[in-house]
Amino acid sequence: MQYHPLPQPDELDVREREDAMGAYFMMFATAALGLPLPILNLVAAIIYYFVNRSKGRFVQFHTLQSLYSQIPVTLLNLGLVVWIITNLVKEYAFSEVFWGYVVMVAVANLVYLIFSIVGAVQARKGYFYYFLFFGKLAYAQVYRVREEKDAGSRVNQPPKI
Amino acid sequence: MRTSIIRDLAILLVIFGCIWGIISFFPLFPEKVELLSIEKEQKLGETYLEILMKSADFREVESEEVQSAVESIGLRLENALEDSEYTYNYVVVEDEMINAFTLPGANILVTTGLIGFSGSAEELAAVIAHEMAHVEMRHVVTRLAKELGISVLTSGDQFVVGELTRIMASTGFDRGQEQDADEFACALLEDAQIEPRTLAVFFRKLKEEQDNTLLEKFEIVSTHPNFTSRIRYVLEYVPGEDFEAVPLEMEWEGVQDQLQNQEESE
Repeated sequence: MQYHPLPQPDELDVREREDAMGAYFMMFATAALGLPLPILNLVAAIIYYFVNRSKGRFVQFHTLQSLYSQIPVTLLNLGLVVWIITNLVKEYAFSEVFWGYVVMVAVANLVYLIFSIVGAVQARKGYFYYFLFFGKLAYAQVYRVREEKDAGSRVNQPPKI
Repeated sequence: MRTSIIRDLAILLVIFGCIWGIISFFPLFPEKVELLSIEKEQKLGETYLEILMKSADFREVESEEVQSAVESIGLRLENALEDSEYTYNYVVVEDEMINAFTLPGANILVTTGLIGFSGSAEELAAVIAHEMAHVEMRHVVTRLAKELGISVLTSGDQFVVGELTRIMASTGFDRGQEQDADEFACALLEDAQIEPRTLAVFFRKLKEEQDNTLLEKFEIVSTHPNFTSRIRYVLEYVPGEDFEAVPLEMEWEGVQDQLQNQEESE
């Protein structure tokens, strides 16, 4: 499998670095929105990705990494909200398993927060910073050389009259 | 590249799975009931019960028939309990409140009001099974240790008894403990070949009473909240396919009449 060459820090202009950094800071802006329903920040992240996709691979990589790492954290948070509501509605007890889940979600959010800040700082400096798992996933998607479809094989024709 | 991605994913899943699992198995705030051994608890229970029965507030029912009826129900459940370390003791006390509560050392107190209210021996069995669950899961000592402190609880002091009885008879366990006890009781009833959902029947009757009557007369209701959810929870319990209910052999109405007669003669 082939990959596109990585841009070096001196090849990236400030604009690109800032857009890449913005991908990580997006979540702070949407965190408040995402509080009652933790799926909203994901929507914002997806929109941000599609808006910035065309701004070069460096920006695309960081945006995608931020988006990918947000998905599991968001789902975990959503799970927690659903669990709490179910327990309250059905008046079930909050078990040890529930508290274990709460701690896990808290750790996940903390880890995500720390990595995002580091990621943002690195992106601002024009460096690549790979998260465990998500970094590789984003890199593979953004930098893999895809075979270009042969655009010339199909020619537009007028309707048959 | 692909294997490396999968490896990373596995690392993440293992780390977070472990966090979840570890916290679930080793709670953040463990309750230290193990400070009080079961033998010690039983001895303590005997002392407390003795003091309690001497006091003017509680009077044991004289009727042998009623006493033995409750004991035979308890025995049926005890036989279904696997390797219990407790020796159960049942006391029927004269009180028109519908209530059943447990003192340390597996002493289950049932009021005459409860016996009169239960429509069948199975209903009383369901209530006793629920109390047994609190005993077996050590909810009783956990709660008393929390409210009185372990040193006061183990003092065996005669002045502690009043407070102890008040706590056990009038305030409820927390929601989680009640839920665990209901679950335990359902399983126990099934093992004893008594329809587990009888517990739901009993709860429903209590709820109806609660709606119709003054609340204060029914302490068990006011301190055991969320009846609707508990009824639903019990009804969700489905006994195994080979489950077959064997009725308790006793003349339940006879037992109730006995109580009635005794009250009238006094």
